Amino acid sequence: MSATSEQDARYAEAAALYGAMLQRLARANEADPDRRRDLLQEMHLALWRSLAAFDGRCALSTWVYRVAHNTAATHVGRHIRINRGLVPIEAIEALADHDFSAAFESNDEIERLNALIRTLRLEDRQLLTLYLEGLDAAETGDVMGLSANAIATRLSRLKTHLARLFRETAHA
Amino acid sequence: MSLAEIHTRASRFRTQIARRNLIEYAAAALVIVVFAYIAFIVPAPFVKAGAIVLILGMLYVVSQLHQLARAAAQDEINAAADLMGFHRQELVRQRDALRGVWSWYLGPLIPGAVLFLFGAVLSAPGPLGAQLSVGFAGLGLLGAMFAAIGWLNQRAAAKLDADIAAIDRARGG
Repeated sequence: MSATSEQDARYAEAAALYGAMLQRLARANEADPDRRRDLLQEMHLALWRSLAAFDGRCALSTWVYRVAHNTAATHVGRHIRINRGLVPIEAIEALADHDFSAAFESNDEIERLNALIRTLRLEDRQLLTLYLEGLDAAETGDVMGLSANAIATRLSRLKTHLARLFRETAHA
Repeated sequence: MSLAEIHTRASRFRTQIARRNLIEYAAAALVIVVFAYIAFIVPAPFVKAGAIVLILGMLYVVSQLHQLARAAAQDEINAAADLMGFHRQELVRQRDALRGVWSWYLGPLIPGAVLFLFGAVLSAPGPLGAQLSVGFAGLGLLGAMFAAIGWLNQRAAAKLDADIAAIDRARGG
């Protein structure tokens, strides 16, 4: 099999397995429909290009998540300079728990949750979207380059802070 | 996206990058042509020398921009790096470009700009004292402008340094 056809085969496999995830990630990162479509295409293109260098140093899933999130970060950074106008989680008032996974499954709450996610700083946005995709702390740590403990601690704080904001906007 | 579409887009992407680079170089080429024309038609030796030194400075700046663009392209190749590593790499690249603004952008343009300025005022009619007054006033303005650009870049670099340190702390580095 030639290098290009191997790359094509890997891309076809990755797109079939993670295509829906890429769509959700584009939606969580970009509110504007035209730019969202551009971002989705950028992610697919970056994924295909990156797979020429796929060497099995990590699982295909980890590879796909990394490329997709890095592409999204670069895309968003072009429109909003990183972290400018975005809020740190400390700026969000803390209160009670909220079942984010259930919110992510519910169509009428998805866009509201995505709107909140888009206000977060880059690292927090990445962490939360990986959590919503169902990755555990160890997998998220692999993708992000942090320890599982650091992921668990950050996620706990992030969920608590975001739950408050999510409920407040629901009542507003 | 189908594979055929991916291949088409990859090809279009390369064309877009090449076109974008061409536009940047064309802008620099335009400035170079204008100063080359000035060097050719103006007889005053300092103006001529200033224009030539400015052209050399501009060529150096363009070569450095080219290096920075190559570094950015390298970051795209590293798209499968872990997220914190990728983000850190991007911040370091931006910080180094901002911090080194005197050596790769402002500095190389200073000798030509000063020579050109004094060449222009000294070749204008009037007593030497008045010419020098205008020259030093212009030099002050030029210095203030360059200092402001340098200061803003250093401030932005310091902010990125803080962001990089935060990532290192998070990674236990």
